[in-house]
Amino acid sequence: MEQPRRITDSFPRRRRRGPGRPPGRLKKDKKDKDKAQVKVKERDCPRAPSQPPPDPALLEMLRRFDLSWEYGPCTGITRLQRWERAQELGLSPPGPIRDALLEHRDNPDVTYRWVWEGMGG
Amino acid sequence: MFSEQAAPTAQGLLAPPSVEPPTFPRVPVLGYSDCSQPFQLGERSFSRQYAHIYAVRLAGMRPGLERRARSRWGSDVALRKLSELQAGEKCCVVGTLFKAMQLQPSILQEISEEHNLVPQPPLPKYIQPSDELILEDELQRIKLEGAIDVQRLVTGTILAVYGAEQDDGRFLVEDHCFADLPPPLPWNGPSSDRFVLLASGLGLGSVSGEALLSTQLLVDVVTGQLGAEGEQSCAAQITRVILAGNLLSQNTQSRDTINKAKYLTKKTQAASVEAVKMLDEILLQLCTSVPVDVMPGEFDPTNYTLPQQPLHRCMLPLASAYATLRLVTNPYQANLDGVRFLGTSGQNISDIFKYSSMDDYLEILEWTLLAGHISPTAPDTLGCYPFYKSDPFILTECPHVYFCGNAPHFQSKLLQGKEGQRVLLVTVPDFSATQTACLVNLRDLTCQPITFSGFGADSED
Repeated sequence: MEQPRRITDSFPRRRRRGPGRPPGRLKKDKKDKDKAQVKVKERDCPRAPSQPPPDPALLEMLRRFDLSWEYGPCTGITRLQRWERAQELGLSPPGPIRDALLEHRDNPDVTYRWVWEGMGG
Repeated sequence: MFSEQAAPTAQGLLAPPSVEPPTFPRVPVLGYSDCSQPFQLGERSFSRQYAHIYAVRLAGMRPGLERRARSRWGSDVALRKLSELQAGEKCCVVGTLFKAMQLQPSILQEISEEHNLVPQPPLPKYIQPSDELILEDELQRIKLEGAIDVQRLVTGTILAVYGAEQDDGRFLVEDHCFADLPPPLPWNGPSSDRFVLLASGLGLGSVSGEALLSTQLLVDVVTGQLGAEGEQSCAAQITRVILAGNLLSQNTQSRDTINKAKYLTKKTQAASVEAVKMLDEILLQLCTSVPVDVMPGEFDPTNYTLPQQPLHRCMLPLASAYATLRLVTNPYQANLDGVRFLGTSGQNISDIFKYSSMDDYLEILEWTLLAGHISPTAPDTLGCYPFYKSDPFILTECPHVYFCGNAPHFQSKLLQGKEGQRVLLVTVPDFSATQTACLVNLRDLTCQPITFSGFGADSED
């Protein structure tokens, strides 16, 4: 990808994702309707390179878990807390979600609720 | 009762002192266990919104309400969510109530510059004939009309309504029901007379010291230093004292010092410091003799939101040396000698009083028990901690004694439920105004007021 030199080239490089990038966890999504244009992740904490990135299908499943209304509001609590609350209320949330959350426990994209840009959550 | 046992021995006061003064050992505590763990907050995080508490309230109370709806309107009644409603179909919907009140104080209206409104002064009641009721479930809301008393109900109640949706989009209610009394607890109360003294609103630190004599009389009666042998032997049957909030008076809350410059207020002490010292001395006298449970109230130095956390023991250095002093939360739940007590310092009842047409504190207390929730108006108009996992104010078991503090008068009622519940409802009056405390007899769940007053220069009778 040849680009003209920019001032921002001297800034530290973030990891760039390819065009087949999974939707969902990016803050810019709310502004950009066309997801294909978004390339760079805007998270403040870059992921540790030793961890394998979570499966895009997994992130999609977690996002769908966030948006399902049966389990209550999703903002302000971690996904694991929301799963356990749903379990205690007898709403029978799907088991694979919990396994995935525990497996990727130290990955902030997986554990934390889906944060919208501008909202503290 | 208390005074009948005490009266015959009054002649003993005129007799010469005996060589061996009689001693009355206090009845031992049979059993005590504190059940207010749900109200104790450990780490507090305020980064959540209040949507969670409403969601868990509805999810937690929905099964019970659906059972009640089926038993009331037939087991084949259609239970629908608002999104599944069809016009004209008779069905039952379970949801949270919201009352849209025009006079409800709204911070957004106050700070809105385009209105240029002076913030409205606090009113005794904020209800108006134009208020509307709206039912909300997880996804939608619908306006209610029909056989439902709009003035009486408050926001945050979970209820089931039976009726049909009209063509104009409103729901015509034919009947409604609440969660009703929670399941009863087994009774293993004492077999002999044992009393618990309930008092609230001691109001220390107020400008006038008239209530101090009454407070000292109260302490003297409980510790057995007042009266003849009859009164002392009756006082020995008091197993516990519960102080239900507002130990400090509202005067200690003055905020004048905040608006003044710092150099003017350097030497002034907060009014509550002196009041807490007085409280410590009074509690010291009580604790040497009887177990005391101290609940915080609206004007006490603890957090504002419900559930209020216990007062810190370093405020009461003299009294907290004794193990008989227990600093507890508001609301407070405990098993005393086999009898389950549940009570608050009155903020929940007075908040419902402000937003409902119900005038009687005892009626509101009974209504909260029948609605299955201690404080439905929290967090709408009453400050509340943003719970997310479960709502601790939902009543899951029926207490034997249900009290609220800081009521204007003393009232009590024994409520009998259909499943064998027996609840004694007590509204504990404000001691600084009425000088009245309550004695609850644990053996037969009866309640008696006890008034302490001295003859002052301006006493009326």
